[in-house]
Amino acid sequence: MSFEKFLKQELTGWMVAEGEHADIVLSTRIRLARNLQDYLFPISASQEDANRVSEALHHAVKTMQNHHFTGTAMKDLSPLERQILVEKHLVSPQLINPEKHGSVLLSEDETISIMVNEEDHIRIQCIYPGFQIDQAYEQADRVDSELEANLNYAFDETFGYLTSCPSNTGTGMRASVMMHLPALTITKQIERIIPAISRLGMVVRGSYGEGSEALGNIYQVSNQITLGKSEEEILKDLESISKRLIAHEKKSRELLLAKSEVHLENRLFRALGTLTYSRILPSAEAAKCLSDVRLGIDLGIIENIDMTILNELMIFMQPGFLQQYAEAELTSDERDILRAQLFRDRLGVVRSAAQKKDNDSL
Amino acid sequence: MLCENCKERPATVVFKQETLNHATERHLCDKCAFYSQTFSFSPDQEPLSIQQFLAHWLGGSELFSEQKADERLPDGPKCPNCNLTFHRFLDIGKFGCAVCYEAFSVQLPRLFAKLHNGHTQHRGKIPVSLNERFALKRKLEDIRTKMQQAVENEHFEEAATLRDEANQLKQQLFDGGDDQHVI
Repeated sequence: MSFEKFLKQELTGWMVAEGEHADIVLSTRIRLARNLQDYLFPISASQEDANRVSEALHHAVKTMQNHHFTGTAMKDLSPLERQILVEKHLVSPQLINPEKHGSVLLSEDETISIMVNEEDHIRIQCIYPGFQIDQAYEQADRVDSELEANLNYAFDETFGYLTSCPSNTGTGMRASVMMHLPALTITKQIERIIPAISRLGMVVRGSYGEGSEALGNIYQVSNQITLGKSEEEILKDLESISKRLIAHEKKSRELLLAKSEVHLENRLFRALGTLTYSRILPSAEAAKCLSDVRLGIDLGIIENIDMTILNELMIFMQPGFLQQYAEAELTSDERDILRAQLFRDRLGVVRSAAQKKDNDSL
Repeated sequence: MLCENCKERPATVVFKQETLNHATERHLCDKCAFYSQTFSFSPDQEPLSIQQFLAHWLGGSELFSEQKADERLPDGPKCPNCNLTFHRFLDIGKFGCAVCYEAFSVQLPRLFAKLHNGHTQHRGKIPVSLNERFALKRKLEDIRTKMQQAVENEHFEEAATLRDEANQLKQQLFDGGDDQHVI
């Protein structure tokens, strides 16, 4: 089975606009960190150690009954291909360092990825579209239990699953929900909410994890604590905080609409104009406008655009994908021009198709 | 002199804080000094990375032993498997292998309490293979508690039955594996 299809396809499992609260929650992710008892952690492991861990894992995955995985080592991919896997959120930026012996195993539908020799020996990640905390955890939990049957995990009764970083010790679980919160951002309420949430043992970050700013008003809410709480408790806490954020965002949207409908409409349609007619489109501007158009669709102000296309554009607008599409290395300027062209094509096609349909029905 | 905070343990640490306007001096015990905010988190700041966090902690402990400021900090325990010292662990913020957890087992609860809202004991999923032994162990503890109660209430016959049950379970646990520290 070729690994190529994972690189060619821009649409991946978590991008379809479905699942509960799909208007606000883009995706739900569960990550479990596991290590093998008998090998040094990747940070201090030799090449041979890393290879043995990788072999043990590939072997364990082969014996799994209900899942089929396809794997590749990072060093066998080109820098561009590695970047594309990161842009699809299938692997972490840390994994792709080619000197670190990392590899990845992906399920057919790309919802499960197992990273090998990242910070920990094993990182099981499940990404589901929309708000599906329990479903994503059940899947990750099943994969974990199946792997464990054939591997000797590093586990301690007091400290739980032993991880390389003490901030993951215990359950080794990081559960996160990616949310689009434009109204809370426009009204600046998010600035008050972020510190409040951090006091509840949860973190809010930009969409690409640690240290990234909230590009396009997309935030990631995740648990901070992994020790002393069960998986169920952590997931319940995350769920209740996410639901409160969703309710808050919805209310703020209504207020915005009620208070200044014409101003809001102006802003959202201008964003659509920028995306549809630009000739040069830098990524920050594209992210901002995508956020506005998405809000416009959610509020019913902008019609005839499929949310899945916006999700796809969100991934496609990134440097790695643009260069793969162009089949060439591009300068920053060249990327901005190609990005503008892509948006025009994609949105233009949809709109004319939708208009045509309207005309047909007349 | 007693600790100003808990008023229970002797004060062993002088905690000096200087601001533009005034200086404060607090006399604390080891425990309260550790749990007092030795470094402040501002809500507007990016969350501290684990390395920053641990480096601050290391800085904090230097601050406590002012008279020893010239001396190098001791390396602390060393992992026999990967040779990582506790000092180096605080520096890089990562364990080198699973054995490190055993090697640093004395220091870790304090560190985990800081990182995980006071928690030091895992309460989540347990690997299935370990689960069975764990269940046996829980049952054994349960029987021992009941036995204690029976003895206290002078129900010696019941205590004897419980003791036999406990011994049986203990045997099962011994047969189950060579993992001595489990028992």
